[in-house]
Amino acid sequence: MACSSKAFALVALLLLTACAGTEPEDDVVRVALSQQPECLDPQVSPREVTATVVRGVFDSLVELDQEGVVRPWLAERWEITRDRRSFTFHLRGGVTFHDGTPLDAEAVRATLDHATAPATKSRYAAMLLRRYAGSDILDSRTIRVHLTEPDASFLQALSTAYLGIQSPTSMRVNAGDLCARPVGSGPFRFAHWRRNRDIRLDRYAEYRWSPPSARTPGPAAASGVQITFIPEDGARFGALVSGQADVVTPIPPVKAGVLRADRNLRLLAADLPGVVYTVCFNSTSGPLADERVRHAVRRSVRIDELVRAVHFGEYPRAWSMLGPATPAYAPDTVDSWPVDTALAERLLDEAGWTGRDEEGYRVRDGQRLVLNWPYLPETQGKDLILLQGVQAEVRRLGIDLHVTAEDAGTYVQLTYTGRGLDMFGTNFVRADPDVLRYWLGSGETLDNGGGNVFRVRDPVLDTLLDQGLATDDLAARVRHYRAVQHYVNDRALVMPVFVPRAMVGTSSRLNGLAFEAAGYPLFRDVTTGRS
Amino acid sequence: MSTWLPGGTPRTAARWFARRASLAAIVVAGAVTAAFLGLELTADDPALTVLGTTPRTPELVEQVRAELALDKPAWQRYLLMIGRVFTGDLGTSHQLQQPVWSLIGEQASASAELVVAGIAVALVVASTSAIATAGGRRPMLRAALSAVEHVTAASPAFWFGLLLLGVFSFRLHLFPVAGGTGPRALVLPALTLALELFGPFAQVLRAGLDTALREPFALTARARGTTWERLLVRHALRHALLPLVTLSGWTVGALLSGAVVIETVFGRQGLGRLLATAITGHDLPVVVGVVTVSAVAFAVVSMVVDWLYGVIDPRTGEAIG
Repeated sequence: MACSSKAFALVALLLLTACAGTEPEDDVVRVALSQQPECLDPQVSPREVTATVVRGVFDSLVELDQEGVVRPWLAERWEITRDRRSFTFHLRGGVTFHDGTPLDAEAVRATLDHATAPATKSRYAAMLLRRYAGSDILDSRTIRVHLTEPDASFLQALSTAYLGIQSPTSMRVNAGDLCARPVGSGPFRFAHWRRNRDIRLDRYAEYRWSPPSARTPGPAAASGVQITFIPEDGARFGALVSGQADVVTPIPPVKAGVLRADRNLRLLAADLPGVVYTVCFNSTSGPLADERVRHAVRRSVRIDELVRAVHFGEYPRAWSMLGPATPAYAPDTVDSWPVDTALAERLLDEAGWTGRDEEGYRVRDGQRLVLNWPYLPETQGKDLILLQGVQAEVRRLGIDLHVTAEDAGTYVQLTYTGRGLDMFGTNFVRADPDVLRYWLGSGETLDNGGGNVFRVRDPVLDTLLDQGLATDDLAARVRHYRAVQHYVNDRALVMPVFVPRAMVGTSSRLNGLAFEAAGYPLFRDVTTGRS
Repeated sequence: MSTWLPGGTPRTAARWFARRASLAAIVVAGAVTAAFLGLELTADDPALTVLGTTPRTPELVEQVRAELALDKPAWQRYLLMIGRVFTGDLGTSHQLQQPVWSLIGEQASASAELVVAGIAVALVVASTSAIATAGGRRPMLRAALSAVEHVTAASPAFWFGLLLLGVFSFRLHLFPVAGGTGPRALVLPALTLALELFGPFAQVLRAGLDTALREPFALTARARGTTWERLLVRHALRHALLPLVTLSGWTVGALLSGAVVIETVFGRQGLGRLLATAITGHDLPVVVGVVTVSAVAFAVVSMVVDWLYGVIDPRTGEAIG
């Protein structure tokens, strides 16, 4: 029936009865997300929500399964040279992109070159490919990729949505507009994006090349995915409870109990791999350059209680900088640095912070023990209670922790120079332990495009990290990265706080929702159960 | 003499229009200047801010610097920007990598729909409330309505939004929570906006009616035997409408890019959200673009309001010229 799209609210009220009869398409998955991507070109956008949206549009060369094993996808098989610097991929035949272009070696090369081209201004994919040195096309279905140095995390990088293979035709025709016109070979083709409103994906009927983890190799079960963006937590949750959405994420921890108690709803959760929510300490200047002060802070904060109170018991407390869902996680870090206020007090005394001023804060040489922790309200505002909790905890020791909201410009400036801040909070999703290098490797300063804000230069750490990348032997890698985690704890370079989880609410009739290794929900096998 | 033309003749109307248009240009230039200064003063290094907290290599930083023309002094960048605005070239968004015009085009109609529908509902409700209780008639009803007007005006929009959603969307399933299309998706946001606005509208209109009804002409009209209703609608309303028209004109301008709370609660498209995202991302072309478009809309609405003065009360037309 025809309902005019332009009418005043009064008219709308009258038309209500006429419009109320339109039924939603029963096998379209209706998804509500809190944020929308700024760009749908996976080689440009670094955001997790972008991966959630475009994972179904783009296929990758390989798949990383939940056990951390790399499996074939668009690449049927691959060989690695003895020096571990060249990968030869043999591509699957019969794959066509949504625009009809067949998959060939040229498409792979175009995608990798696009990710690393400066003009793309890639915010993440280029980092995944930082050792990429170029590709040679051996024949239409064989490509050899060269690296500048061995990189055991390379296949994991290729498995992410950020290195999903794009149609070379689209990259040529839509150049400059790839953010709004994603064309891949995935189970869903991009239909439209009305910014600030919705994104629509339609089933790609010719799809026959699912990765091994999929239920069937063929087309998606659902005829489409309808993604709306509802930033307000209450409204988004209401959309699920009232049956207006089939899948809603993120679910705020406070609502998790409601979901579990409701028989019509279901809560699915997955620990996110990579760096947990971690407080990075300035170990190169200021009071925290003294290892004893860093240990004192870690031993004084009752993290268990704090995390339980702030996240309603939904997020586990963290002991290592790497999350338990990451390959090479070190489980023996658990309980290795319990709260010990007496020890913390002693360490601060030994570090010379023995005096007290009139407000009860510790003093050394007439200087109060002040720590600065700036944060961005837009992205870290939801963690503010946690920050304030840490502030209250270290106050008991006599540390004056300043938690300050900064605008983006000031915050970036602070982190870029690494001066004027003693700590900052962060987490970083990646299903490979080498994510640690990004924060702590001496070559990963911000000038080099890394996240080593405080310019940590530790030869022991660098050696361990390099050993972790130099071998493809999983057991050896595990050994090296576990050593890194213990080393980081022994030196108290950071304070791991909690393990973030992907929390997805669904209707209980919905079936087939799986998580990718990186913790994004996959819509490929979903049936809505409506109708 | 036609009351529909400012000043009465086509000649005076043209002069009137020319003066308004030049004033509007000044308003737009002022707004754009303020936006430029605001972003210029809050960012130590706009290139870094544009790149945000994501990985940045020196080459990338240099590239963004060149694109933002940061190698030129601020006054040159300012002149370049003003020049581009007045030739209609709004550039491309740094963050979204799309032309600013197309971004604004996508969002503008949703904003216009919301503002027009919300103000229309607010005006209808406010006029009913004010006319029913003006001039000291129905004191009980007047006290009750006045209380409601104060409470709604003082309550935050997102609270109304969630309340309406809770009842009409989550419970009664009458309207979509977000993302719906057509008039049904407009009802709750427009009602939320109307709830915010009708209080001040009603108060202003009622005060105007009260004043008009105390004028000697009102007494004369009553003495001639004019009915109360006719006196209200034919005579007093004309006087009382001027401040309400001014207020609604201002509201249209302010809300076109300022309805960000309602847009966020209902997950609606709109210039407000576009602007808010652009400000946090220091996306200068989008900020300047939205500010320009709202300033132009504001200026156009002001012109319409000024013109309406002359139509509603021809005596004000004398001053035009």
